[in-house]
Amino acid sequence: MIDVKTSVSALALAGATALLPMAAGAQTTLRLDEVAVGELDPAKATDYADSILMFNAYDTLLLPTRGGGGMAPHLAESWAAAGTTFTFTLRDDVAFASGNPLTAADVVFSYDRLIALGQGFSHLFRDHVASVEATGDRTVVFTLNQPYAPFLAGLTRLQIVDSATVLANLEDGDFGDLGDYGQAFLSANAAGTGAYAVTAHNPQEETTFARNDGYFLPFDGAAPDVVRLRYGLEGATVRTLIARGEHDIASQWLPPEIVRGIAEGDGTQLLLESGTGGFYIKLNTQKPPLDDVHCRRALAYALDYASVLALVQVTDEVAQGQPANGPLPVGMLGSDPGLAYPGQDMDRAQQELEACAYAPGDHTLEISWIAEVPIEERFALLMQSNFQQLGFGTEVVRVPWALFTERATSVESTPHISQLFVNSTTPDPDALVYNMYHSTVAGTWQSVEWLQNDDVDRLLEAGRAELDQDARAAIYQELGALLVDLQPTIYAYETQSVFPASSRVTAPSLSDPAQSYLVNGMNFMFRHMSVE
Amino acid sequence: MGPSLLTSLIRRLWMSLLVLIGVSMLIFCIARVIPGDPARIALGPNATQEQVDLLRERLHLNDPLPVQYAEFVKESLQGDLGMSLYTNRPVVTDIGDFLPATLELVLFAGILMVAIGVPLGVLAARYRDGWVDNLVRLLSLAGVVTPTFVWAVFLMLGFAFFLEWFPVAGRLSEGVPPPPGITGLYTLDALLTGRFATFADAVTHIVLPATALAMTGIGQTARLTRASVAQAYDTPYVHMAEAYGYPEGRIASRYALRPAMIPTLTILGLDFAAMLGNAFLVEAVFAWPGLARYGVQAILHKDLNAIVGTVLVISAFFLIVNILVDLTVAWLNPRIRLENRRAAG
Repeated sequence: MIDVKTSVSALALAGATALLPMAAGAQTTLRLDEVAVGELDPAKATDYADSILMFNAYDTLLLPTRGGGGMAPHLAESWAAAGTTFTFTLRDDVAFASGNPLTAADVVFSYDRLIALGQGFSHLFRDHVASVEATGDRTVVFTLNQPYAPFLAGLTRLQIVDSATVLANLEDGDFGDLGDYGQAFLSANAAGTGAYAVTAHNPQEETTFARNDGYFLPFDGAAPDVVRLRYGLEGATVRTLIARGEHDIASQWLPPEIVRGIAEGDGTQLLLESGTGGFYIKLNTQKPPLDDVHCRRALAYALDYASVLALVQVTDEVAQGQPANGPLPVGMLGSDPGLAYPGQDMDRAQQELEACAYAPGDHTLEISWIAEVPIEERFALLMQSNFQQLGFGTEVVRVPWALFTERATSVESTPHISQLFVNSTTPDPDALVYNMYHSTVAGTWQSVEWLQNDDVDRLLEAGRAELDQDARAAIYQELGALLVDLQPTIYAYETQSVFPASSRVTAPSLSDPAQSYLVNGMNFMFRHMSVE
Repeated sequence: MGPSLLTSLIRRLWMSLLVLIGVSMLIFCIARVIPGDPARIALGPNATQEQVDLLRERLHLNDPLPVQYAEFVKESLQGDLGMSLYTNRPVVTDIGDFLPATLELVLFAGILMVAIGVPLGVLAARYRDGWVDNLVRLLSLAGVVTPTFVWAVFLMLGFAFFLEWFPVAGRLSEGVPPPPGITGLYTLDALLTGRFATFADAVTHIVLPATALAMTGIGQTARLTRASVAQAYDTPYVHMAEAYGYPEGRIASRYALRPAMIPTLTILGLDFAAMLGNAFLVEAVFAWPGLARYGVQAILHKDLNAIVGTVLVISAFFLIVNILVDLTVAWLNPRIRLENRRAAG
């Protein structure tokens, strides 16, 4: 009796639901998810979800070249560099979602706002740009303090906002006449030229987009009409939604076993993004016994790299990582295909250990793993097993991220061994290696190696000052070889983000390396995707 | 409402205010001793120390704790709970957005607790030690001992994935616009505005999460009701009613259930209020954009203002529910009314 009643009520509800006013049938919808809340204000964006938002709702002066190095025109139709001065000429056919035409004043406003708020990616410009001026309606001039090669790549993180719309929506705040500088408005609304306009935004639930048919560039294939970016879906929920055909692309943060489960279902595929970062096992070079390079090299030779990769294997063909041979991922400017790929070699590990000034039995290595990243515990246990074979005592320690950033501020509190996934925020090698290895930046989560080496500093500074791309590539190759020799870090693998997806989606930038961007999140430009 | 009840109510409201002040002090301090710098967490991994210092200054995090608390009280009294570092929006806005979703979920779960738990308990008591009693005992134990998130996943797999009777996630189906925001409770707003199809859609979405959330409470309610009603069935006045030949239903509802509801109601009230905070796992599994999930994320991100705001709202809800339960119990139990009158007089 109860079953019959339940069935009847369910049918009644289903019938009523069928009467609902649904969206127009012809519209195609793309549904994807991300773990964190989405920060819509491009001046406050920091993580992956924020990047997806910024690259669809806003545009930048330049874009990285797809499938290769260098930068290409975007909102700027051309640019000229003379010493420390960069002059950009804007396209004349670009309008914001409000209908306002794009002008040089919008670029200046966007830059000033980013620096004034002092959040997000403002660190890419703050110490390097002396001034930004509009010298005409369509001409804007950036003057740098000194030659700074990563500047152009950094422009991928300067999203241009509609100054008139923002100024019309100011609220009370700390910025004098500018009130809150539009923070309240831009945290809930978009004011960009992007290919997709934000139609609704709830930072904990979802952001919905509608295709901007007035966009100044063509859309690829059957780009979706509507996009729903959901936040914080659980693995089991995503798996069920994809199986029911109610979800299209899952986030990269699912455990390998759930990714595998989804991939085994009908009508699914795995989309990939690589070349933007790696998994780095960082060694505290100022703390005995790892202040001796031979001990560091011994650990690097003792690590079972094949088992590390096996832990992130998703299917027979796809893993969440691929072998690394240095600090820079393959494809990034300065990566060196000629460097040898490391592998476990216990004989050489013993040789290095004999050259080390410390007896391994006298030291206990603290191997930390970040509490919010469970896979790191497995890596820690593997390292414990590998390094104990050399005679080191080991202690595996779970550290919450918030505590880790505090522990990273002094040599003494920094663990002997830390595990970190680091991705480049721009398509420039400087964004990846400078913040890890320059002696002046030691003491942050990225630089827990505490490396103090004049040659490394010299090469990092030369890489920033050299404007010729070939010469820069050579500098970073020399740096990569030096870092492998100094071994402040064990380069465990290059990360490959794996996104389980429905096969109704086509995303060339996430399936064809020749069409991908080397920037985190940029491959999720919806205008390059097609939905059946 | 008699003068004794009014006096009791005023006394309880006054006590509740003191409790809220105590809770605010406690949570204000606890939130600040969670490891990690909230400014650094908010600004993300690439922020420079200078950026972090600047934000700490803006948030008054370098001030002594009493000064920070005084500032918090001053702003709270003006209805400003500060900005959330997690969502970058005013905490009041966030709570306004997320609280109705959780309230709606908890209300439905509460209804299920009463509508299923109480009849099950009465049935078990009426047919005590028979197969009905044993079955209800089994179901109740299963409800209590199975963790809520297991129920959530189990219900989702069974009724959303395999049977496809209910949707998997969210509050409304794709393409269904939310009803005009009168209360923020989609089912209620849809009814108030005459959007019956939207109401039906919202109900289909809330059935599974509310059931998962209610399972533990249903089990507890059934067991408690069973024990209390069984006890009432052994009293002389029930035996007398039976001897007079009163109908079964009348004896159960009027003579056995009413006095038996007093202990059940007290526990039910506590369970109901606790669901507001405990709904986190259910909200996570069913992608329900509620306050419980927001609160947990706030703790993980050390979002000081959001933590304090969420805890205060949950505390206030707890206190209000307790007062309502006390009033209901007083209405059900004449002895309490008389004691209150004596205390007031």
